[in-house]
Amino acid sequence: MLPDVYGHLCAFLDVRYRTEDPHSNQSKWRGLHNPAMNMFIRAAQYACMLLGHVLERRAGPGATRAALRQLEASMSSGRKLFRLGNMVHAMVAAKQTIQLPDLVPRICLTASNLIRALYFICDTVLWLKSVGLLPHIYKWKWRNWATKCYYYSLLMNLTRDLYEISWLLEQAAEKEKAKENSFPWDTQDQDLICLETERQSQPFLPLLYSTLKKHPPLLLDTTKNLCDLSSPLDRLGIYKTNPGIIGLCGLLSSLVGILTIAKPHLKLK
Amino acid sequence: MEAWVRFSAQSAAKERVFRAAQYACTLLGYTMQKNGAGAELLARIKQLEAHMSLGRKLFRLGNSAEALEAAKRAIHLSDMVLRFCITVAHLNRAMYFACDNVLWAGKTGLVPHADQEKWSQRSFRYYLFALIMNLSRDAYEIRLLMEREASGKRPKGTENGHQAQVDNGLQHLALRLRIQLRLLGHVLRSNPPLLLDLVKNACDIFIPLDKLGLYKTSPGFVGLCGLTSSILSILTIVHPWLKLKP
Repeated sequence: MLPDVYGHLCAFLDVRYRTEDPHSNQSKWRGLHNPAMNMFIRAAQYACMLLGHVLERRAGPGATRAALRQLEASMSSGRKLFRLGNMVHAMVAAKQTIQLPDLVPRICLTASNLIRALYFICDTVLWLKSVGLLPHIYKWKWRNWATKCYYYSLLMNLTRDLYEISWLLEQAAEKEKAKENSFPWDTQDQDLICLETERQSQPFLPLLYSTLKKHPPLLLDTTKNLCDLSSPLDRLGIYKTNPGIIGLCGLLSSLVGILTIAKPHLKLK
Repeated sequence: MEAWVRFSAQSAAKERVFRAAQYACTLLGYTMQKNGAGAELLARIKQLEAHMSLGRKLFRLGNSAEALEAAKRAIHLSDMVLRFCITVAHLNRAMYFACDNVLWAGKTGLVPHADQEKWSQRSFRYYLFALIMNLSRDAYEIRLLMEREASGKRPKGTENGHQAQVDNGLQHLALRLRIQLRLLGHVLRSNPPLLLDLVKNACDIFIPLDKLGLYKTSPGFVGLCGLTSSILSILTIVHPWLKLKP
């Protein structure tokens, strides 16, 4: 029964792995693709963090909290292991984003990818330390650098998101103006036109909401980046929160990540 | 760099690389121990190996369902022997992964009272059965291909056959054995996927045989076999035409 439920869950999420061999008559379902698995484990890790914080607040049994913490640490170290080759991914992504046509996304995304490559290098060094291969490095120093790199790369991503949002808002405003100018210029209707103009210049928030609703990839990307920001803000001491908020934000961003893997059309290009 | 991105985008690729690294650590640890290395270095290698093993177990959490899916697909194969061997192999793999999940839960503290030794033995037993099924499938495929080759050559060979009957019985047997071996060599050389799969399964089978105590070898030999089979499976990922189908 459990594998059945699991199979249905996967079918629902449609995390299908496309086989590389087009002539193979194997089925296209090949279990969970690594990035999807990583997102699931990340979601579970942040859920543990959140649950641990909730239990602490309610003075739950110490054994459960300790078990959750151990589980979270184990998932974190496992994910670090599987992140080992990712600096190459970030460099290749930087090579691709440098060819984007628009200036601002080109600069922001390339910078973000290069900084992410640095983050993965720091992450690799931290992994080597945790495994005992580099016992003499200062963990706190490298962790600080890793957090700073992650923070700046998120800021670059958010800058790009804000640029896209402002561009879309401008477009929406111009569309409103065009609609306005298409009304026939009749003195009898002038009062009507004035009323229409007042009604058409909507306040900012509803316009933002309607713009984002029409562009779900941008909304998802912005949400993901904002949620991801909570952890480095706390670590760097810029905006201290508690493990509960970090867990909740991490869980939310992992769910968004799973959604963009399951439905690739929701991924922001 | 792009080649690495393409490679690691495939689902089992990174896991195979870490498997290779894990068994390389086993082999390295054994070699260093034989050469009288310090206890601290050996402890570090063991820690690295344990770390990779636990990380791999974490990312294998979904493989039970994948193996069941593969078994469901294999049931529709046309050949009866292949259908039986492959389906049973996948079912055993599914059980192996389920035991592996229990081991992971025990190691991370989710199920603290799990008997690690008992579940480890169980998992290796299922792994052994799966490998035996894979080897049976390989043997069946080899047999089919050899029969096909032999029947293709028979019109040429009938005259030689008459001559062989005249000779001594033992010589006749030796000749037949030589012909069979040559045929086997020819079949394997002209079917690289089958050869690769056979070598991979043959290397892999020493791991559960050692862990279950059925055929004890040294940790170094187990490490070498694991490393070889991991490298061969990485090869089948890099060159998908080398993968034995179905």
